[in-house]
Amino acid sequence: MTAKEIPNLRELLGPRRGGLSRDRGRGRGGPGSPREGAEALKDNAVRGTDQDAAGSRASCVELGYLHDPYAKLFATQTTTRRLPLLNRGTYVRTSAIDLLVDKFLNTSPDTPKQIVSLGAGTDTRYFRLRDRYPETRIVYHELDFPTNTAAKLASIQRHAQLHEKLTSKPPPNPLTLDQTATSYFSETYNLHAIDLRSLTSTTDNVTIPSLPNLDPTLPTLILSEMCLVYLKAATVSSILQTFLEKYLPSPTPVSLILYEPILPNDAFGRTMISNLSTRNIHLPTLLAYPDLGDQRARLRSYGFVDGARAADTEWIWKEWVTEEEKERVGALEMLDELEELEMLLRHYCVAWGWRDGGGEGVFTKAWDDVAERR
Amino acid sequence: MSIGGSDLDKAISQLRACRPIPENQVRELCYKARELLIEEGNVVGVDAPVTICGDIHGQFHDLMELFRVGGDVPDTNYLFMGDFVDRGFYSLESFLLLLCLKVRHPDRITLIRGNHESRQITTVYGFYDECLRKYGSANVWRYCCEVFDYLALGALVTGAATSLPPTSAPLADNANPDSFPSDDSEIEVETLNAQGEIMYRYARNSDSQSSNPTSNPASSSPIAPTPSRTGAAGTGATSSANGSKSNDTGAVLCVHGGLSPLIDTIDKIRLLDRKQEVPHEGAMCDLLWSDPDEIDGWGLSPRGAGFLFGADIVKCFNHRNDLSLIARAHQLVMEGFKEMFDSTIVTVWSAPNYCYRCGNVAAILELGEDGSNAGFVRRSNGERGGGGGGWILGSNVDGNGNRRLSSVLGEGALGQRARDGPGRRYRVFEAAPQDSRGMPAKKPVADYFL
Ligand SMILES: [Mn+2]
Repeated sequence: MTAKEIPNLRELLGPRRGGLSRDRGRGRGGPGSPREGAEALKDNAVRGTDQDAAGSRASCVELGYLHDPYAKLFATQTTTRRLPLLNRGTYVRTSAIDLLVDKFLNTSPDTPKQIVSLGAGTDTRYFRLRDRYPETRIVYHELDFPTNTAAKLASIQRHAQLHEKLTSKPPPNPLTLDQTATSYFSETYNLHAIDLRSLTSTTDNVTIPSLPNLDPTLPTLILSEMCLVYLKAATVSSILQTFLEKYLPSPTPVSLILYEPILPNDAFGRTMISNLSTRNIHLPTLLAYPDLGDQRARLRSYGFVDGARAADTEWIWKEWVTEEEKERVGALEMLDELEELEMLLRHYCVAWGWRDGGGEGVFTKAWDDVAERR
Repeated sequence: MSIGGSDLDKAISQLRACRPIPENQVRELCYKARELLIEEGNVVGVDAPVTICGDIHGQFHDLMELFRVGGDVPDTNYLFMGDFVDRGFYSLESFLLLLCLKVRHPDRITLIRGNHESRQITTVYGFYDECLRKYGSANVWRYCCEVFDYLALGALVTGAATSLPPTSAPLADNANPDSFPSDDSEIEVETLNAQGEIMYRYARNSDSQSSNPTSNPASSSPIAPTPSRTGAAGTGATSSANGSKSNDTGAVLCVHGGLSPLIDTIDKIRLLDRKQEVPHEGAMCDLLWSDPDEIDGWGLSPRGAGFLFGADIVKCFNHRNDLSLIARAHQLVMEGFKEMFDSTIVTVWSAPNYCYRCGNVAAILELGEDGSNAGFVRRSNGERGGGGGGWILGSNVDGNGNRRLSSVLGEGALGQRARDGPGRRYRVFEAAPQDSRGMPAKKPVADYFL
């Protein structure tokens, strides 16, 4: 495949930057163990891919698919133009999640809100939201593996446009970061260097890690874009139990948005699994929740009892995106890989569920009119 | 140096081993190819028997598998409907090999242009980068693009038989012989697997099958694709209402994409000035970019170029031009081929596991030779290859030799029954085995946007 396409592939690994490292477990196979060499190689590959996720976003921005002035600040390499199919996919995924997030933030805009982004990597959503909702009090948390949080902080420090947004305090901004910092905490932006699997709660006696500034009472949206998919289904379940019962106990309104692949059992899905497994990438929740119905049931089982919806991204492109916007996006590039795009989009879904008591609950109000694929 | 004779054979064997040939040989080859192609009309005339192939997209090892399944050049007469380059790792080797074969056996292989045979598209989808990577400069890409400009826009296959001769091919394990037509019925469609075993067989008859051209359940199995056509034979196309003989088949138009609202006759294709980069709009663009769709009339294409066209457009065009079938490529179909609109148009896709990711099977379409075709003058030097790959209809078939190279305008009212389609033998094959791909140290990795 072309030089241009290789980064696209790596983009796949981008979100894994948390995934593989998490799988690895920081305690397992200590220094010098035979595991370490191979794992270190994997880690290097993973680190090398982190930039490509940012590059893909930058490609989308450069071509006009997305408006995101921050994307290029996290991409240290020059922007490589991605295939139209991947640009379109990135567009659908980003705008779908933006829509749900917007509806959440626009519901009772005077109420403070909290967002927890799992495996956030180089995601720019926090910075975009600060621009879009200057009046709304947002407490934003990103959780990722230390190599990624450190890289992110380094990027932030390089660019005034980024670090001036880290607190809501007026300038002069007192931000100075230690060169070796992996975490950052403020009243509005928090970057937690953490292995997500340390959030599993097996017994009540185990003390869970503290997540500074995580408010246990604010309505909270948890985001997982290709993050939890790399963990075992039981691990994911346990992590969400920790959030729903310990960090954000009832009656705090909590919701979860998942972006994950689906349909592992058709020809495309089987090929995806086999292609990825030759690269040592496994997607346990893809097998555990193969279709949209499974995704909804899964959300309910976590405790999102007031709503559990799901739609594949092909359907989202058709149903959520206005005709006008479709025309705009369609005109950006000649897209030859149409059948392939549709197939690819059909194999990814957005699933969203919430617990807010229903009725006047913030998520019920925000998302009640958002259609899902029936 | 000049590339010809033994040099050409040497280049062919080097390319068959998936090794690029030197830049000066490419220049020479492209020059020779252009000399040949400039003589071809926009619509090349091709006599059956012929094996029609769809997109290749640089999947060199799968192209070798195609030749294994369909027979080698010149034994088999081939027609490739474009999109030789882009996406796969070996666009260069695939295209140059096809071009060498064209120069070596000009009457046994026909190449027409796909929408990827374009400067603009190849810079986005990989061929340009591949040339740069393999030669260190864009020269070879430039030579190839000059050839692209001379490729024909379509081909018209004449002399195809209406039915398939009975074969003694073995049945595939998963075939259901009970569903096969009886021995004395006329066979219209047969699907064979890569081992040459029969998977499906359909008779031409008027009412035994229900017509449901849209039902094409996406097969989840790449091994045993669901037949994409479900009862084209049930469309009444073969009723003898107007007394036509059953082997009275019209010509088959082959084009990469499809039809254009600016083109209502094949003669209008002939009038286009094709020797240029594929334009962003207009008839030439449409022929390479359009897609059939379940709509009425014309629609906007979501690809941003070309149009969508419905069954009414195809039936009207076929009738007006005395065609029995349009064969086109351009769209990935998981089962390798897909017949639509009462078998008046078929998509043939020849890149298995497209982009090493899609999990699809590929197909080629064989059209047999009408018994009456023997006396027809071949379009060029008249040299006939071994013919081993084709199949000859039995002498009992009463060919009427009624060829329709010119379009028939205004003959009969619309709604008059369509011409009988040619007998169609599809050979379905999977991607070449992993270990025979001879992949470079870096294994191919499919894209997943995540
Ligand atoms: Mn095409």
